[in-house]
Amino acid sequence: MSYYDIDAILTDAEKIPCTFQVDIPDLGYLDNTPTQPLKAGTKVNLPLWLAEMLAIANTGDVEGKSFVSFDLPPAMGNDVVQALKADPRAVPLRDQSAHFYGLAIHMMELSEEQELAAALRKTFVTRASEVALHARKVGGVGQKGKGEEGSNLGVGGAGEEFLRGLDEWERKLFRKAHDGAKSGKEWMEGVKKH
Amino acid sequence: MPMYGDLGNKLVQHAKRTQNLTHLPPYQTELVRAVTREVRDLDKDVASLLEPFQGSFDPSADQATACTLLVNHLSMRRNKRCLLAYHRTRTDKLEELVWNGSDVLDLAGQQAGGVNGAAADSGAGSSLSPQEEDYFRQYGDLLSAYKGQWTDIDLTGSLEPPRDLFIDVRVLKDAGEIQTEYGAINLTKNSQFYVRQGDVERLIAQGYLQKLG
Repeated sequence: MSYYDIDAILTDAEKIPCTFQVDIPDLGYLDNTPTQPLKAGTKVNLPLWLAEMLAIANTGDVEGKSFVSFDLPPAMGNDVVQALKADPRAVPLRDQSAHFYGLAIHMMELSEEQELAAALRKTFVTRASEVALHARKVGGVGQKGKGEEGSNLGVGGAGEEFLRGLDEWERKLFRKAHDGAKSGKEWMEGVKKH
Repeated sequence: MPMYGDLGNKLVQHAKRTQNLTHLPPYQTELVRAVTREVRDLDKDVASLLEPFQGSFDPSADQATACTLLVNHLSMRRNKRCLLAYHRTRTDKLEELVWNGSDVLDLAGQQAGGVNGAAADSGAGSSLSPQEEDYFRQYGDLLSAYKGQWTDIDLTGSLEPPRDLFIDVRVLKDAGEIQTEYGAINLTKNSQFYVRQGDVERLIAQGYLQKLG
């Protein structure tokens, strides 16, 4: 992921629940009360670009505690994870977060949740093959949908619901798979003609 | 809850949309200005926070200030990244347009006409910032200089092998005189010619000529 990567930057704007560990007089605005000091123990949703550094930066005191502690975001909450374990394809990830996997990767870097990591990995693998399946269907059987340029997601048919629930990463995967299948087909036709 | 970095995020959302467009939407002058102003304000805050310490600030002695400074610093860094990414997305697009042989003036006209009316609110002017227009022009110069090294290969020519070497074209706009292997042709509006495709490809792309048949 590059510094200029637009999707990485948007992923960094995803918020996670944080709890401040120290009193900070000047940061009341983060809790929507600019005139009040921010008390230790206040829970605030902070974007990743802020939360990450505050969570790993050392306050400098002897116990080495951080400015904030954080929890997993609701998108990675227990009920979502249980649903993913039951059937990864049945969960519209987009409703949880438009950058679900990007967020997940950040969270996995910050915490050691082996079980969650395994569940997410399985989710991606299972859904990726489903994505590829749909992408080939659209590209292969002569353009019945309006799935031409731009958003290919208005394909219609059985997979519509599933495709609507794709997160950004999966959408990219879908587009690549779809364009690949389409270019392949076009090339084959070109070969036949000449 | 408006927060530092929110405006920068808006800018990046614009960039995201730009990536999926074929044309370049109007430059977000106001938003860019607001984000830069935010950085300047944050910098001022940092300076006034540090002022009492006379250059000997000890983070472990004053955690609250240390945290505020960190938040301010991160907000500035975030804004910087948003600004750079926004502009980079646009310059990437500009370079692409140069390689495709588009014209800044053409571009402005196209925008004002509004392909689907969406860009109509940009006023009569171009959708590029003055700096972007400079960039476009200078990149174009660079590309011409680079291309000039090879006289027998057109680096920006079409990659499609032509079906016919010669084609019929109609002149849509006066394009002046061009030199070809077979002599000079004067391209006046509404005239029609049978020419070598390679000679006029550029002019077709720029909308001076229309390919017939």
